[in-house]
Amino acid sequence: MELVGTVVVLVIKSVIFILGMFLGAAYLTLLERKFAGHVQQRPGPLHVGPHGFLQPIADALKVLTKEDLVPDNVDKVLFYLASLMAFVPAIMILAVVPFGDPFTIFGVEIKPYITDINVGLLLALAFGSISIYGVIFAGWASNSKYPMIGGLRKAAVLIGYEVALGFALVGPIMMAGSFSLREIVEAQQNIWFIIPNILAFVVVIFCVLAETGRTPFDVQEAEAELVGGYVTEYTGMKFGLFPLAEWYIATFVLSAITVILFFGGWNPIPFLGWLPIPAFVWFFLKVFLLFMFFLWVHWTLPRYRVDQITELAWKVMLPLALANIFIVAIWIIIFG
Amino acid sequence: MVKIKYVKRPELENRERIFFIDFIKGMKVTLKNLFRKTVTTYYPFEKLTPPKRFRGTHAHRVKDGTEPPSFKVIEKFMDIKDGESRCVACYMCQQACPVPELFKIEAIQTEDGRKRVVRFDMNLLNCMYCGLCTEACPVDCLIMTDIYETAAYHRGSCVTHMEDMAERAVDFDRRRKDEPDRIWIDDKERSKLWGQIKWS
Ligand code: SF4
Ligand code: SF4
Repeated sequence: MELVGTVVVLVIKSVIFILGMFLGAAYLTLLERKFAGHVQQRPGPLHVGPHGFLQPIADALKVLTKEDLVPDNVDKVLFYLASLMAFVPAIMILAVVPFGDPFTIFGVEIKPYITDINVGLLLALAFGSISIYGVIFAGWASNSKYPMIGGLRKAAVLIGYEVALGFALVGPIMMAGSFSLREIVEAQQNIWFIIPNILAFVVVIFCVLAETGRTPFDVQEAEAELVGGYVTEYTGMKFGLFPLAEWYIATFVLSAITVILFFGGWNPIPFLGWLPIPAFVWFFLKVFLLFMFFLWVHWTLPRYRVDQITELAWKVMLPLALANIFIVAIWIIIFG
Repeated sequence: MVKIKYVKRPELENRERIFFIDFIKGMKVTLKNLFRKTVTTYYPFEKLTPPKRFRGTHAHRVKDGTEPPSFKVIEKFMDIKDGESRCVACYMCQQACPVPELFKIEAIQTEDGRKRVVRFDMNLLNCMYCGLCTEACPVDCLIMTDIYETAAYHRGSCVTHMEDMAERAVDFDRRRKDEPDRIWIDDKERSKLWGQIKWS
């Protein structure tokens, strides 16, 4: 009986999370388009609904009703699999992201996370990497040169930043003594991990930008040189899933993880703890700010070349991550 | 002998390298733009009036007594009623045009020996809107108007005929004939229409 109860609760929670993420991602597209517009001194979508507020719905309808073309000579299995491979793992990271402490409403304890396993961070990392294989598969399966180049570029970049990312995450883990994201947040009640881990934070920002394929590291799309990069042969919703997964869901979820690792998760901002603001509002505020930061970077900087990215990853970011481990070790020796 | 001056590309300083100074500069620019007013026009609902000298769709001025002396000279040889296109089929426009095939001009001799223009078609799909044809017209007939919405559903609809062109010119002259040419003057009307323009 208990098992059934757990399963039902988990299913309900997952559905809520997934639906929330879908709606959220839809409106993140609007946010991005508005932001991109105003950065370039144009208003962005305006026409559908007040100030373009219904634009995501119109977009969704348009993408869903579009003809879904599959080119003749593609590798059918991989071609279909790739869009799912990019999308499903990206949304599965949500399973380990906690949005706040457990709280009780009407005598029922509600945990605002799906699961709190003791290797949560590793799982998030793994899902993040699997989602990249979607891109590489798409490049391979499309049987066309531009997607192929895009996929290969992503593979080259992947090898570079994954290593640095892994080492950068060691700092916060050392300080918290746990892989569980919830425990990492709880360890930050007094001081955020950004303090000794500033170098790791820089590395993580670099890696999130590279993983989600946002400018300056969007070599896999590079619309100026590769047509559409790895999505050139895709149409309709299969195409829509890629940007949705990479640019919005992955960026949002990875921002959430970065906030958890470095900015104290749902702990209030220092000296503002007396404000009557619930924990998850703090959390979403921080995630939102970080997401806006990624947008800001995206719509400002020009694109790096692949060799420059791998060079940056191996020669700069990896040593930085290692140096960060050293600094954190000394910090732990001194301050306990 | 052309003198060439070699300028050394400045190396990044260490300070710039470590703190991403260039990134921060760029991001300052975008942040500033974020809070600026937008510069766009809400197009199908809000249309800009182009300057009077704008090179838009072609039109034919009609015979209405405002012709230049060059027209008066040959007026009696032409079979043109008032309110009709004042084209005398001299083919000057076609001569001047870089894409002469786009003109189809035909004229016939009437019973009383005068000349009548029966056809003047322009296939505007081939036109590059350079305006050379209007410069060439000796009787100030062919002009360019401020109409810029030239899209159509069929290629046939992009061929413009003499009657349409006469109508267009009448309309254009009614709207803008008396308007001063604001290319070189900087008055209030101009800044209202196209904003203050900074002369470099
Ligand atoms: S505008 Fe130029 S291209 Fe067009 S008809 Fe006149 S001369 Fe020819
Ligand atoms: S130059 Fe003027 S008058 Fe001569 S054919 Fe062309 S439009 Fe007619």
